[in-house]
Amino acid sequence: MTDLAMSPAAIGQEGSTAGRRSPSRKQRGALVRRREQKGVWFVLPFLVMFALFLITPLGYAMYTSLYTTKLVGGTSFSGFANYTQTFQSNEFWSGVVRVVAYAAVQIPVMLVIAFFFATMFDLGIARFGRLFRTIFFIPFAVPAVVGSVMWSFLLDPASGPFTQLAHAIGFSQADYFSSTLIVPTIVVIAIWEWTGYNMMILYTALKSVPREVVEAAVLDGASVWRVVLRIKLPMVRSVIVMLVFLNVIGASQLFTEPLILSYFQPQAISNYFTPTLYIYNIGIGGQQYNLAAAAAVVLGILVVAISVVSLTFRRRGEGLL
Amino acid sequence: MQARLEDQASTVPIRLYGLRRGTVVVVTGLCVLFSIFTLAPIAWIVINSTKTQANIFQSFGFWFARPFEFFHNFSLLFQDVDGQGTYIQWMGNTALYAVLGGVGATIFAALGGYGFARFDFRGSKTTFYVVLSALLVPVTAITLPLYLVYAKVGLINSIWGMVLPSMVSPVGVYLMSSFIKVSVPRELLDAARVDGAGEIRIFLKMAVPLMVPGLVTVLLISVVGVWNNYFLPLIIFSKSNLYPITVGLGNWSNRAQNGGSTQIFPLLVIGGLVTIIPLIAIFLIVQRYWKSGMLLGSVTG
Repeated sequence: MTDLAMSPAAIGQEGSTAGRRSPSRKQRGALVRRREQKGVWFVLPFLVMFALFLITPLGYAMYTSLYTTKLVGGTSFSGFANYTQTFQSNEFWSGVVRVVAYAAVQIPVMLVIAFFFATMFDLGIARFGRLFRTIFFIPFAVPAVVGSVMWSFLLDPASGPFTQLAHAIGFSQADYFSSTLIVPTIVVIAIWEWTGYNMMILYTALKSVPREVVEAAVLDGASVWRVVLRIKLPMVRSVIVMLVFLNVIGASQLFTEPLILSYFQPQAISNYFTPTLYIYNIGIGGQQYNLAAAAAVVLGILVVAISVVSLTFRRRGEGLL
Repeated sequence: MQARLEDQASTVPIRLYGLRRGTVVVVTGLCVLFSIFTLAPIAWIVINSTKTQANIFQSFGFWFARPFEFFHNFSLLFQDVDGQGTYIQWMGNTALYAVLGGVGATIFAALGGYGFARFDFRGSKTTFYVVLSALLVPVTAITLPLYLVYAKVGLINSIWGMVLPSMVSPVGVYLMSSFIKVSVPRELLDAARVDGAGEIRIFLKMAVPLMVPGLVTVLLISVVGVWNNYFLPLIIFSKSNLYPITVGLGNWSNRAQNGGSTQIFPLLVIGGLVTIIPLIAIFLIVQRYWKSGMLLGSVTG
C-alpha cells in the first residue's frame, strides 16, 4: 500500500516500465498508479447513468426554474420570480409545516414502539419472538399504494369497520378524515407500514451487543431496565440516529398515502397537502412547469440542508458508521 | 432451526433478570395487540376479496358474506372491465420494469462499487462522496425534473423512461463498495495481476463470485424499489397499457369515486390482494437471510 504514496518524480513515467522484470521503486509507483487509474472504467458506466438521470434533471430543474412560460408571449427569463412565488405561497409552506408536524409525531412514536419490541425480542422477554417478528415485518412487503387503499376502506366514514368500532365504543362523531384527524390518520398508516422494518434493523443491531457485557451487568444485579437504558441503548445509538435520518428523508417525500386517501376522501386532502403533492399538482395538474421546478429545487435544498445539519451533529456526537 | 438455536445462545436466560412472571405475560400481550393491528388490513383484504361490491360496503368488514364471489372477482383481473386497462397486463409490466431495472441497477452497482472499493484513481474519493450525497436528495425532488427532461427527449410513455432511472442506485453502489471492502481481498486481486490476468478477467472470474451475497442484496432492494414505485410511473405514463400495478390500482381508486364500473371496488380489493401475496411470500422466505445492511438500503427506494 505504501506504493500509493508516490513521489512527484514518478509522475510522467507511466508506461515506460511495462514488461520489465524488477522495476525500481519509482517505477513501481508509476505502474501501480497506472493500474489504479483503470478503476475509472469500472465506475464510468454508473457515472454516465448517474449524470443522465440524476444530475441532468436537477440541473435542468434549476435552469428552467429561472424562466416563466406565458400563454401569450412564450418563455422568457424571469430570474428568481418563481422562487419568490414559492416562498410567498401559503399553500407550499402549509404543506411543509404539515409534513414537519407529521414527522415530529410519527418518527418518535414509531421508533419508541420499534425499540420497545426490538428490546423485548432481544432479551427474550416476549414469548414466540420469532413469530411476532415475522408478523410485524409483513407490512414492509405491502406497496404503499395497496396499504393506503386498504386503510381507506377500513377507515371509511360511512362503512369502515374501524369507524363502526369507534361508534360502538362511544365516539359517535368519529371521522378519521376530518380536518383534525387526517394527519394523525396518516401517522397511524405510516406506523403500520414502517414499524416492523425499523424494529428489524434495531433488533439486528441489538443482537450484536456482546453477550458478556450484558451477563456481567446482570450478575452485578443490574435490573432489566438498567441493562436496556444504560447498556443496550447507548450501543445502538448510532443506528437510531441513522434511522431518524432515513425516516426524515422518507417523511419529506410524503406523497403516495395522501394522494390515494384523497381519491377516497377528496374533501379531506387538498391539492397542496404536502410539498410533493404541491409539486405534483402545480406541475402535472396545472402545467406550471417552471414554478413546479422551483418548488422541487426548494424542497431538495430544504431536505439536504436538514440532513447536513443533522449529519454535522452526528459527527460531533460520536460519529460512527 | 439453526437460527433458533443461535437466538437462544445469544440471549441471557430471562430468569437471571429477576422479572416478575407477570412481565412476560404483559409484554407478550402487547405483542398480540400489535399483531392484531398489523394483520387487520391483511385479514380485511383477504375476507373482502370474496365479496360483491354491495357486500363490501354493507356487510361487516371482518367477516364473510354470501354470495362467495372470490373466483368471479379473480376472473375480473384478466378483463378490461372499466376500459382503463387489464390488471394482468399491469402485473406483467411491473415484473418487466422490476427485472430490467433491478438487473441493470445490480450490474452498474457491481461495477461501480468494485471501482470505488478496489481502485484509487484520481478523484475517486470526491466522486464517491458526490454519489453518496445523492442519497440526501429526496427522490420526489428529482422525479418532476425528470419528467420535464423526458418531455424534451421523448421518453414520456416509454418503458425506458421507467427502466433507465431505476438502474441508477447510489445506495446500491454504496452497499457493493462496503461489501467488497470486506469480502474481496486486495491481495487476491494483486496475485492474479502478477499472474498476468487482465482487469476485466479478474473482475469476472475472481471478484464477482465473492460478491454474490452483496449482489443478491442489491438486486432485491432494486426490484422491491421498482415494484413499489408510484410517483415516477404516475407522471410519465398516460397510456394504461404501460401502467405498472401501483399506477393501475391508484387509477382504479380514483375512478371508483367518480362513477367507474359497478365492479370496480371488488377489482380494487382482489387486485390489492394479488399484488401483496407474492411479495409477502418472497419476504417470508428470504427474511432469515436478510442482514440489517440490506434492510437499510430499501428506505430510499
